Amino acid sequence: MLDTFEILTTSGVVLWSRSYAQVSPSIINNFITDVFIEEKGGAIAGAKNNQSAAQNPPYKADQHTLKWTFVKELGIIFVAVYRSLLHLSWVDKLVDNLKTIFVDLYGDQLKKPNTTLVHCHKFDGYFDQQLRELESTTATKGAPAPTFALETDETISGNLGDEPPLPPGLKHRSAKAQDGTHDLPSTVESTPIATPTSSRPSTPGGNHLVVGKGGPISKMSRRARKMQKGASAPMSSGDESSARKKKAPKKGRKWDADGFADEEDDVQLDYSAAPNSITSDSEVEGRSTVIASVDSSTWGTKTSKGQFVLRDLDDEVHDILASAQSKSSTTANSGLVGSGLSTINSLFRNVVGGKTLTKEDLAKPMDGMKEHLIKKNAAVRLRDSVEKELLGVKTGSFESIDTRIKKAMEVCLTKMLTPTSSLDLLRDIELVTRPSGFSSQKARPYVMSIVGVNGVGKSTNLSKICYFLLQNKMRVLVVAGDTFRSGAVEQLKVHVRNLKELTEREGGQVEIFEKGYGGDAATVARDAVRSATSEGYDVVLIDTAGRRHNDQRLMSNLEKFAKLANPDKILMVGEALVGNDSVAQARNFNASFGQGRTLDGFIISKCDTVGDMVGTLVSIVHATNVPVLFVGVGQHYSDIRNFSVRWAVEKLLNSS
Amino acid sequence: MPTPMEQLIEYIEYILTPSTPVFVVGALIVVLVPIIVHIFVTQSTPYTSLPSVVLVGPPGAGKTALLTLLERGDAAISTHTSQVPQSIELTVSVDQHLSFREAVKDDAPGEHKKFLLVDTPGHGKLRNFAMDSLVAREGLKGIVFMLDAATLDENLAATANYLYEVLLALQKRVSSVKTSKTPSAINVLIAANKSDLFTALPATLVKSNLEAELGRIRKSRSKGLLASGVGIDDVDNGENDDWLGEYGSEKFTFGQMQEFNLEVDIVGGSVTEGKVDKWWHWVSERL
Repeated sequence: MLDTFEILTTSGVVLWSRSYAQVSPSIINNFITDVFIEEKGGAIAGAKNNQSAAQNPPYKADQHTLKWTFVKELGIIFVAVYRSLLHLSWVDKLVDNLKTIFVDLYGDQLKKPNTTLVHCHKFDGYFDQQLRELESTTATKGAPAPTFALETDETISGNLGDEPPLPPGLKHRSAKAQDGTHDLPSTVESTPIATPTSSRPSTPGGNHLVVGKGGPISKMSRRARKMQKGASAPMSSGDESSARKKKAPKKGRKWDADGFADEEDDVQLDYSAAPNSITSDSEVEGRSTVIASVDSSTWGTKTSKGQFVLRDLDDEVHDILASAQSKSSTTANSGLVGSGLSTINSLFRNVVGGKTLTKEDLAKPMDGMKEHLIKKNAAVRLRDSVEKELLGVKTGSFESIDTRIKKAMEVCLTKMLTPTSSLDLLRDIELVTRPSGFSSQKARPYVMSIVGVNGVGKSTNLSKICYFLLQNKMRVLVVAGDTFRSGAVEQLKVHVRNLKELTEREGGQVEIFEKGYGGDAATVARDAVRSATSEGYDVVLIDTAGRRHNDQRLMSNLEKFAKLANPDKILMVGEALVGNDSVAQARNFNASFGQGRTLDGFIISKCDTVGDMVGTLVSIVHATNVPVLFVGVGQHYSDIRNFSVRWAVEKLLNSS
Repeated sequence: MPTPMEQLIEYIEYILTPSTPVFVVGALIVVLVPIIVHIFVTQSTPYTSLPSVVLVGPPGAGKTALLTLLERGDAAISTHTSQVPQSIELTVSVDQHLSFREAVKDDAPGEHKKFLLVDTPGHGKLRNFAMDSLVAREGLKGIVFMLDAATLDENLAATANYLYEVLLALQKRVSSVKTSKTPSAINVLIAANKSDLFTALPATLVKSNLEAELGRIRKSRSKGLLASGVGIDDVDNGENDDWLGEYGSEKFTFGQMQEFNLEVDIVGGSVTEGKVDKWWHWVSERL
């Protein structure tokens, strides 16, 4: 069964909802955050306007599956939530149909500015009708009945660290044995090793979003839809015939000129003129039954009234759905005059503003924008997200498409680059090294490690960060984790010596921890953290060997490293100079730390050498959803900066 | 039969020769086109700016819920994470002390004033709108910073960070003005929501916790790195711009904000129980 169906606006207000089982609101909140705001799970997984629910990837979280669709111009989202164990193949259809009906009935109310009130309490009837109809069509075809395994599977329910626990009454038994084929993907998806990622929602620890299609589900639904087509046709015709039977006596009386005969008119008619008006023989024959049914309706008992209303609803709903379908099929061929008028209108609107943007309008300026971004060294298909932002939007007064696109670009870039939570390194360190009296955590050193491809500046940036920490009077232990390349340890030693001299007066203290060459980097790191804990260091900075991101042998070491050293922050250094490869680098490194652990941030080095072409930034953030922490802007120890979103967006949009 | 070309020439000649119909049509065009354009433009642009109050705060604090409560007047409806700002038009009584439940009715007594209550998304990636509106919005009368008093312990750092940004933006707005004319005061109400829950902190404790945390943030920021794009030359111009409150002071208190024409009040309340009258009065006083 369906657990919940909700209709909500993008501003967060729930317009209408129906709930059959209690579902934690955080499920839908997480869904909104992941799919709409952070756009996790790939570039195009985000919200496509007006797409059918079957094409939107279902969102799975905490044993629930969410099917959804989104209407951009009205800003409403339709979500259906049900247990992942159930094969509810008709949900897609339900979501789509209800979308059509809701938009048709209440679209005008939604367009009103400055209000969140939408009077849609009558929607209950439509929902019930749709639910009943779709459920019955699948039930007759022997849809897979919900089956439950006998044993509870601890690994599924236990590992969902991010989601709050369900109320005890709702603990669900998961079916692994029975629904093997269907459940396998969902279990894999929902069992990343849970890490305390609540402070860093950008790491995909709680990312239950399924990128791929639901496999069996989508196939199922297609089959089911076919079934429905077969099944719904005779059913609806049956309904119509029954309605016609009801209307037949009305036609004989000819009370309603406009053809829409009301039941209540009928009632009045019956009371006032029944003895005189009935003339035909057939009417007399059917008289007793007609009167009986009318009488029951005038009593207004709940059930019979409900039936009358519902019968009307069936017709109405089918009308709405049919008209929507015909509309979508006939929009293309309007007459010659119509197209001429619309061209003039669009030209006019183009100048004055208030034009609703379509894909065709956007095509050309978007190409220009793409070119511009390529010139800035950004290897992303930003196009999709910008286009998504713009489709169906009205331009403002005297606003050309180009300015609108520029604005949308700015919004998109800012949204993408802005981190989810604040990134104050000093504050983070303080929280770990000097925990407040209330928390149960013990003071320990803050561990940071730096990874990256060869020659991007790992050691240099590590020294820069070290210098910054030393200026804040911290005790830092630098760990030579590069036990592979000759000269790496000596290089770090030189850095440490320099830093010692530079910060002698400042009060910071820095030492190096090294075990020579040939050892295992992960073990060295672990030993370093241990000794730092016992000696009371504030921060441990671990350098690692540079590795090619597509060398599986080297990358596999990182997982062990992350496990043994367990750094608070793993930062990756990326060059601003590199082009397309940056995306692959970022992705591979992000995925190399094992399940539940990702990068925590990027340092973009050599930003001073590229001028305005800071597109690399965008590429990697877009690819991984990991924020940029620092940018390197020069050769000196002090040439490291916090990343400023405004600065990057300005540089990217600057067209000189 | 004249060819189409000749016909066209004839038409053009007719239009260009001075005659009464041509004059009339020309005059009509001259008069009507600006009017039509005007109507068109005014229709597509929304209302003239009303005074407004902006709701900001971390996600999950209850901003949208408060909005729906004030609009409906009886109870808040369920809400989810917001993605776009939403403004609603509310009326507040000028001369009488009405609660929001009475003010929302059409037949409420007394003289009324309309204003906009603007809800902003609290998610970290979507705070731009809120921050922009603090600086640029016309007719901004007050800011309601909502926070969840029940989970403040865990979210103190994140909440205080956002509050820091907000207060700093307001402070800059005042201090950046070089002319003698100071911009109108914008006051901040810190609404400690969810007082119905057992773990909720009282307003005084919320205040002291926030002040302590803001002080720590201020300190660590002053020691932090420069943001990219800021040149070295821009920094050493005496007073630090990014220091919230009285420069150089040891402890941060909300009282220090008065120097910048900012008054900060902290009031507890609960949206789910409908105990928002104090907030409503705060808002009505600022309009």
